[in-house]
Amino acid sequence: MTTAELELSPSVTDTPPRAPEPGLARARRRGMRHHRAGLTVLLAVIVLLTAVPVLYVVTLSIRSRDDVLNGGLLPSHPFWQNWPDAFRAVDLGRYLVNSWTVAAGSVVLTLLIAVPGAYFTARAGRRGARLASLVLSSYCAPPVVAILPLFFLLRNLGLNNTLTGLALVDGLANVPVAIWLLDGFIRKVPREIEEAAWLDGLGTWTSLRRIVLPLISPGVAAAALICFFLSYNEFLFALSFAQDSGSQTLPVVLSLFQGDKNVEFGQQAVVSLAGIVPVYVLAVAAQRWLVAGLSSGAVK
Amino acid sequence: MTTAPTLKAGPRTVRGRSGARVPGGLAAPAVAFLVVFAAYPLVYLIGLAFTQSTLAQPLQRWTGFDNFRSALESQSFTGSLWRSVLFAVLAAAVQLVLGTALALLLRARARRPGLLGTLLLLPLVTPPVMVGVAWKLLLAPVGGALNGVLHVLGLPGVNPLGGATSAFITLVVIDSWQWTPFVMLLTYAALLGVPDELREAAALDGAGRRRTARSVVLPYIEPTLLSVLLLKLVIGFKVFDIVYVVTAGGPGFSTTTSTYDIQRTALQEFDVGAAAAGTVVFSLLIGLVTAVVALRRKRHEEVAV
Repeated sequence: MTTAELELSPSVTDTPPRAPEPGLARARRRGMRHHRAGLTVLLAVIVLLTAVPVLYVVTLSIRSRDDVLNGGLLPSHPFWQNWPDAFRAVDLGRYLVNSWTVAAGSVVLTLLIAVPGAYFTARAGRRGARLASLVLSSYCAPPVVAILPLFFLLRNLGLNNTLTGLALVDGLANVPVAIWLLDGFIRKVPREIEEAAWLDGLGTWTSLRRIVLPLISPGVAAAALICFFLSYNEFLFALSFAQDSGSQTLPVVLSLFQGDKNVEFGQQAVVSLAGIVPVYVLAVAAQRWLVAGLSSGAVK
Repeated sequence: MTTAPTLKAGPRTVRGRSGARVPGGLAAPAVAFLVVFAAYPLVYLIGLAFTQSTLAQPLQRWTGFDNFRSALESQSFTGSLWRSVLFAVLAAAVQLVLGTALALLLRARARRPGLLGTLLLLPLVTPPVMVGVAWKLLLAPVGGALNGVLHVLGLPGVNPLGGATSAFITLVVIDSWQWTPFVMLLTYAALLGVPDELREAAALDGAGRRRTARSVVLPYIEPTLLSVLLLKLVIGFKVFDIVYVVTAGGPGFSTTTSTYDIQRTALQEFDVGAAAAGTVVFSLLIGLVTAVVALRRKRHEEVAV
């Protein structure tokens, strides 16, 4: 409901409400347009304010140490040397690969568990509801609960300090989120479609694979994307279970690199950006799935 | 628990008992997940809490409540419980208000979030460690943007991370920077569900803006707001990354939350027993706090139905 509409509403109620005068309708539309433009400007300003921390990191990445310490907000002259220096100080390429490998591997595991699981929670009546509540309550426990037990489990399996081990843990950790998201998408598939498939002699598994899965593919994409972000950003498990350079992820390396006395603001900025830019590109490129996925949980 | 008595429904009884047709096998991977990621950690954790353990050799001998005693006597842990609750509640409250306000703006603008909506979401996908580093650089006493601005304005410099209260508030601000978009998006989606006819009807009946918001929109989105509140409390209790990066729990213990304290006790001080006992206490506390909200939400749902 817009202000313009409301200001006009008394006169709208005076005349027959369904057919306001043409002139009035035009004024109303123009009012709405102005109103909308105002909101767009306001939101754009908010976006800009929100972006300040990251934009500041961008400016830091091209400022020399002395320039930063002398104060001032913008680079007096661009100093590109931070970039090669940071790549030399930290083996960025390797840690990026580690991060992406863990994230991608974990997504595969999550989906293998969550797709059938969500189908069960959405379609198996009371048994489904019971599974859903168990899975969701497991999500309420803080992940720190799992740290010690999983630490010993991974060590017994010989999987601590490996990408596989971390992908395994992250993949499991995201299962509740994925089931929660996918459940919503599966419920939107009309039961009649499946029932028709069953009458045609397809088993539940086959109809899940051939009928339901294609219909919920946007949901699967959304869940995959969100779980990818969660793993890529994950820090507590990564810090606790992956402690050598072969398995450390970028957030862990940055957390160590920024250390106590590190005044190389520029290089810290470069390492941060190396982690941020890929997710931002992915988020904007896949905004449709991201938004649909995140909001599917709300409308339940 | 998963394969409760299953009726073998033939093709003709397709419309039979709801869900009877879904084979329990589909739930098997999820059940395996629950065993590895919920049941096993819980049992093992309780085992660790009541025994003497080292990282090299867990579960050496039964020690009764000794670990609980040393956890609760630890200067940092007891305080951390209170700080975790305060952090989760404060952050959830701030983010619920700001997120709803943004959602209303976004909804008033259009029925689609558009590029602006996506740009507003970016903090949410930023890796929290990078968020922490960015804010730490922004707030740095020397070379930080905040003091740069203050200097240009001729004002004295500040160090928000230097004081106990201001450091805690700063963490809430940083967390809100990251999580407000989450609340915004979920609330926005709920707002899309409010039928336009309802608002129009309210307007025709002479309801003002406030009245419409309170009597038409709010009841519609209240279940979502309660769910988001619950979710945000749960997420707030998990805060670790920004504490680790921005304040390392300091100054003093002023920003030491339980997750941070437990991780440090377990994997930096290697006091496995105390960490496990602390985790048990912390989990009970979280259960208590979330149960209060969950019950309220449930009552709400029952009334709504």
